[in-house]
Amino acid sequence: MEVPYQQLFDAMPCYLTVQDRDLRMIKANTRFVNAFGDYQGRYCYQVYKHRPERCEVCPVEQTFRDGISHSSEEKVRSLDGKEVSVIVYTEPVRDENGEIAAVMEMSTDITGIKRLQDQLRESQQRYRTLFEEVPCYISIQDENLNIVDANRLHRRDFGSYLGCKCYQVYKHRTEECYPCCVRQTFRDGQLLVHEEVVTSRHGEAMNVLVHSTPIFDAQGWVKYVMEMSANITPIRELQSQLTSIGLLISSISHGVKGLLNSLNGGIYLVNSGLSKSNPERLKQGWEIVLRNISRIRSMVLDILYYAKDREPIYEEISAHALLDEIFDLMSGKARDFHVELSKEREGDSPVFEGDAQAIRAMLVNLLENCLDACRVDPKKNSHRVVLGCSAHGSQVRFEVTDNGIGMDQETREKAFTLFFSSKGNEGTGLGLFIANKIARAHGGKIQLESQLDVGTRFLVDIPIRREAKRAPSASGAPAAAPSCSGAPEQQEAGGSD
Amino acid sequence: MTDKKTILIIDDEPDTLTYFSSLLQDHGYATVTAENGEQALVKVRAAKPDLITLDITMPETSGVRCYRELRGNAEWQSIPVIMITGISEDFRTFISTRKQVPPPDGYLSKPVSEEELLKMVRDLIAA
Repeated sequence: MEVPYQQLFDAMPCYLTVQDRDLRMIKANTRFVNAFGDYQGRYCYQVYKHRPERCEVCPVEQTFRDGISHSSEEKVRSLDGKEVSVIVYTEPVRDENGEIAAVMEMSTDITGIKRLQDQLRESQQRYRTLFEEVPCYISIQDENLNIVDANRLHRRDFGSYLGCKCYQVYKHRTEECYPCCVRQTFRDGQLLVHEEVVTSRHGEAMNVLVHSTPIFDAQGWVKYVMEMSANITPIRELQSQLTSIGLLISSISHGVKGLLNSLNGGIYLVNSGLSKSNPERLKQGWEIVLRNISRIRSMVLDILYYAKDREPIYEEISAHALLDEIFDLMSGKARDFHVELSKEREGDSPVFEGDAQAIRAMLVNLLENCLDACRVDPKKNSHRVVLGCSAHGSQVRFEVTDNGIGMDQETREKAFTLFFSSKGNEGTGLGLFIANKIARAHGGKIQLESQLDVGTRFLVDIPIRREAKRAPSASGAPAAAPSCSGAPEQQEAGGSD
Repeated sequence: MTDKKTILIIDDEPDTLTYFSSLLQDHGYATVTAENGEQALVKVRAAKPDLITLDITMPETSGVRCYRELRGNAEWQSIPVIMITGISEDFRTFISTRKQVPPPDGYLSKPVSEEELLKMVRDLIAA
């Protein structure tokens, strides 16, 4: 049977043309004619691309040159002016002598596929932009808890630690957290929401609300887990302030009751002294009244300190005298805890400008932390806390050192966070936060050095002369980048006020 | 003079010690004072008081611990104890639900009124 070549030529699902060495069109199938119009006597680039001259790179020319097939992707324009994307294949047509007489060009319309590809790329870009720019931290973890992808905010605040374990990056821990929400999501494929305290590479601790979401593979298995963490520190701080006000009110009311009781006592002695004509008793009663009025005054100042950012009331303070006072104040408690409390003083007593009441409260706070760290430490036979003071250039330095339980990196980093307590029900998470607030209000800082099972040292540096006007506090602290080995053991209290 | 009843006042607040001592002495009682739980146990041994007022919210050896020791000792458990508290009324509920120790004989909240204290002391010593 004779094959009707023209019929086959026309039936092919692509544009078919045959061109001579000058790229003049000799033949074309009906599909081509319908799409691109009359070709007789015209050149390929005129018909396909509406150009006056040859294309810079032409697969037909290449085939004429080397006698083999070529392919390329081109954009052409149809009769109705539409741009059509095509994949072009060329094939030499040889005469009886084997010479290339013409080249057949087959162009397949891939406009639809191209459009889908573009849409896919755009959609990928959109998702990537969303992933990158969403105002929360996103990281994607594999089943070994390695971070395989992270968004811009995450890279900015936690660093580029792809391939590192999430607990190293987020918490600077050496061991997996327990319980681990990512593991839980890998197990049950469910979305989990919970709250964590994490630490940025700058050492800034923050409260985050974490959503862990499963990412499934084609078979429906959880391939990755995405952690989205929103920084809710401002909300928590506000909440903690409200809670601390609640705690404060309860502690104030307790204090006020005691003060009223003493005032009752003073009044009783004054009255009975008058009625018994006993000036000694009257004097005693009046002293009680005066003393308790002064205590009420200082309590009110305390309340103001907690309730709002009170500016320090500066006065000249002798560091050694302050140290002695605190030593006397706390030695009873130290004895009770079987802790040897001692003081170390270097050189002459530095005299510095500060709010005596606030500085006293701050040091008592640090000291109480040290005593607690000793009290709960069962691993050592004897415990000691050393209270030290020295001048360091333009700063006065107070040191409070203990040989108690010490802190791991996580506790160190969160120690100054509002509402973080390692003491279970015994801690409110307020003490160190307020101590830090006081140091910062004086233009100073608190550094913390601690090692688990060895002990803790707080270093408080306060400028001897107050700065004329302090710039707004920066939250940047030295980098405490996570590392797979040798976690940093020093922590500077960040700005959380 | 010898039949004066002795009251041990335990409170970490010196002004309260002065107040209660003066008040109770003015009303015919002998008083002994202690600033903390540890001192209190020494004084109770030496003075054998007829009644004890105990501040429950002392910082050092706590009032609760002191109270437990008083009640745990056969010789002392019959001495009436008035517990003085600056904490809320809820504390009364709390201490009453502790199964290990019997509840104290009386409670007073700070600020303590003279009349209330004197009446409670009178009633408990007479009983």
